[in-house]
Amino acid sequence: MHHANHHYGHAHILARYCNIPDAMHPPRIRGYLQHGWNIGDGLAPGTPYVSGAPLFVWSEETRRRSWSQGRRNVTVVGAPFAYLVEMAPPVEGPGEGTIFYPFHGWEGQQVHGDHQRLIDEVLETETGPVTACLYWNEYRMRNVRALYEKAGFRVICHGYRGFWWRDSNRDFLVGQLAELRRHRRVVSNRLCSAIWYGLLAGREAAVYGDPMVLDNADMTFGGEPRLHRQWPDVYGKQTDFATCHQLAREQLGADELAGPAELRKLLGWPKEGYV
Amino acid sequence: MPDRPDMAAAVAAPPLTNLIRSGGEMFNWTDTDGRDNQLLTRLVLEHAGPGRTVLVAGPHPDGLVAALAGAGAEVTWLLRSLIDAETAARAHPGITVLSGAFGKADLTGGYDLVVAAGGIQRLNSAEGDQLAAGELLDRLAAAVRPDGALILMHDNQLGAHHTVRLDPGARHRDDAAWHPSETTEGPAARSQLTAHLTGAGLVVDAAYAAFPEPGDPAVLIGGVTLGDVTSPLRPWLRTVLAQAYTVAFRGRPVLSDPRRLVNRALRAGAEETVAGGWLVVAHAPGDTEPAREWHDVLVSDVHGVYTPDAAEPGVTGRVDSLVRERIVNPVAADRLEDRLLELCAAADVRRLRQEIAQYESWLGAGPVSGPRALADLSDLGITADGPVVMSARWSPAEPVPAQIVLVRALWQFAVRLITWGRPHPWPNTASAADLAAILAGMAGRSLADDELRAAIDLQVVIDSAEFGLGPAERQAHRLALLAVQPGTAPLDVAGYHELTEALWRQRYQASHLLAMMEWNEQIIRSRDSALSKMDWELQLLRRTWGGRSLMLAKRAYKKVKK
Repeated sequence: MHHANHHYGHAHILARYCNIPDAMHPPRIRGYLQHGWNIGDGLAPGTPYVSGAPLFVWSEETRRRSWSQGRRNVTVVGAPFAYLVEMAPPVEGPGEGTIFYPFHGWEGQQVHGDHQRLIDEVLETETGPVTACLYWNEYRMRNVRALYEKAGFRVICHGYRGFWWRDSNRDFLVGQLAELRRHRRVVSNRLCSAIWYGLLAGREAAVYGDPMVLDNADMTFGGEPRLHRQWPDVYGKQTDFATCHQLAREQLGADELAGPAELRKLLGWPKEGYV
Repeated sequence: MPDRPDMAAAVAAPPLTNLIRSGGEMFNWTDTDGRDNQLLTRLVLEHAGPGRTVLVAGPHPDGLVAALAGAGAEVTWLLRSLIDAETAARAHPGITVLSGAFGKADLTGGYDLVVAAGGIQRLNSAEGDQLAAGELLDRLAAAVRPDGALILMHDNQLGAHHTVRLDPGARHRDDAAWHPSETTEGPAARSQLTAHLTGAGLVVDAAYAAFPEPGDPAVLIGGVTLGDVTSPLRPWLRTVLAQAYTVAFRGRPVLSDPRRLVNRALRAGAEETVAGGWLVVAHAPGDTEPAREWHDVLVSDVHGVYTPDAAEPGVTGRVDSLVRERIVNPVAADRLEDRLLELCAAADVRRLRQEIAQYESWLGAGPVSGPRALADLSDLGITADGPVVMSARWSPAEPVPAQIVLVRALWQFAVRLITWGRPHPWPNTASAADLAAILAGMAGRSLADDELRAAIDLQVVIDSAEFGLGPAERQAHRLALLAVQPGTAPLDVAGYHELTEALWRQRYQASHLLAMMEWNEQIIRSRDSALSKMDWELQLLRRTWGGRSLMLAKRAYKKVKK
């Protein structure tokens, strides 16, 4: 029901998983689908919430936190990315080099920090070729992009997540999974969805460097300092893959995924064969 | 109060030689004698036999007295109502009927068996002295001859049946409540009752907790099983007691569903405290000691009486498309339904999927026959080797498709989740049909509408056999089952607590629907506006060269601006 359900092609991935005939035009989800890894109640801050509407979150931990924040109609379905990994055929080999996700803001909040210092630290740490994946608005900033290009990074962008059902890159996560699998490591300067995605895709992950500062950062749920305290295992230049992979499975609800018939019912979609 | 007597009929009636007015008899009064109870009849008959003298003290079901007389016992029946006494004397010419207050009857000769299965509440008459509970018990005990036995049911004022009673004005409507039962002094616990009888010179052989109500017990628990939470019978007892309370309280308004209270008491080993009453079997010491073993548990259901350690076949035959069945297999440490309820409350969807998938594979793919086809999840126990049928009362005459078996069990579980107000990890706006589809999806099955209808029809057949529903009741039941939504109260026992809970859920649902309407209005306005803008753009682009040029210019401007 909320346009954020279509961000990153989430609804489209779930429609594919559920064998919806026209998965590129999925039916409306009867509720709010968590659209990014979240240390709050599962909804992005400020989302206009229809009282009593179902909220579909990625993990059991988020469900419990959401309940503690007054949400009463919360169901764990797992992250759409985890469904995508389930559907995507496995790939051989560990990949090569590093994909680096500088912490990004979004349309309403910009980040402030020293990109060059970050680049230097990445170059100093990573041994293979480095791909920098910028958020769409930073990708459009020529000066930011040039900084990374000048450092010898391959600079890419997964596309625009869309707004109000328009201009969505429906294959956002498909492209992201392909890029993650192409590399051996995924790195960021702040714990974010991409780190968990990389781990779920079987790649080493590390979080280090200047975490940067977000405009008017919302500290209700502890902000960046809390990330360090709660998930220390993913911080540092070298991390233990098995431990971090298990954390990713939990955060993305990879072991809680619903079956296609079950998911159709949860999302309020028609049964198979009924359109 | 009975109708005015017909004088002409009274004068013309032959004299009743087997009726003795023992003093204090009540005129223009009648007591209800209750339904025949298989459990009490069986227990009493075990102590009676040809030539044995039996005193039946107070109103009892007519069938019990007839059975005693039929077994050759010399029966004396004491009734305070003269009308009831005359009716009894006429119906049973072979027995002696005493009419009067218990305190005035001459019982000095003693009896081999004294039966007070109706308790002590209806032994005093409105006429004359009112004996206290202790005195009544003493007199009952004194009426037992050496080597004779007393079978007594004593009402538990703390019983679930009193706790959940919702019957405003009952005392003022009850003509027999000249001394309300709750003000009657007397034993208020099983231990107090047995101590009193011991003090009166009897030896207590068995002291059962009786459920659900003292007037019509269906389950007796005693011996070492009573209060033993480690007993292997305990999960099975939950099912048996829930069934007994369902039968007893179906359609009766109550303060709160007694099944919840009793289930909690069972978990706490406190079932004795909430039992409907205590059934005591005691004997007066004599020359011979009674040498017999007492079953810890006795159960009565729609097919007859049985014990878990020696399941007897009971009544056989068919009811509609069902075959009567008697499975008693209390081997599991946990019930599947309890396991699923716990997992639902913990929102552990991963283990829920495992459990449901295991159940689905246990059912198999082909048609299912035998008890497993109709077993509720509460009838199934969990063992290391998978589910087992712990109890069953019905089997299908013809095998049932596995999909229908699965859907019925899961849908019934969904109904319980909603109507019992139990927590679950799925949207709380989901109906029973939605939840059934989600649960079936957990087992990798999809659920078609006609399959759900077939499953509900099967449930109606089972409930009809269990509760003896007529055609109109069946149809009403079917419609009620089809319409289970969030905010639906329990369909069998109408508890005030559960009804207010359902009302709260309905309000929640209504406020959500209102919010949804408002949101939909906003979205429609927003989409209308977006559509209008896009339409305008399209018109401009498609119809005019100027428009095309303008759009090109706009794009160029935006590009330059970046």
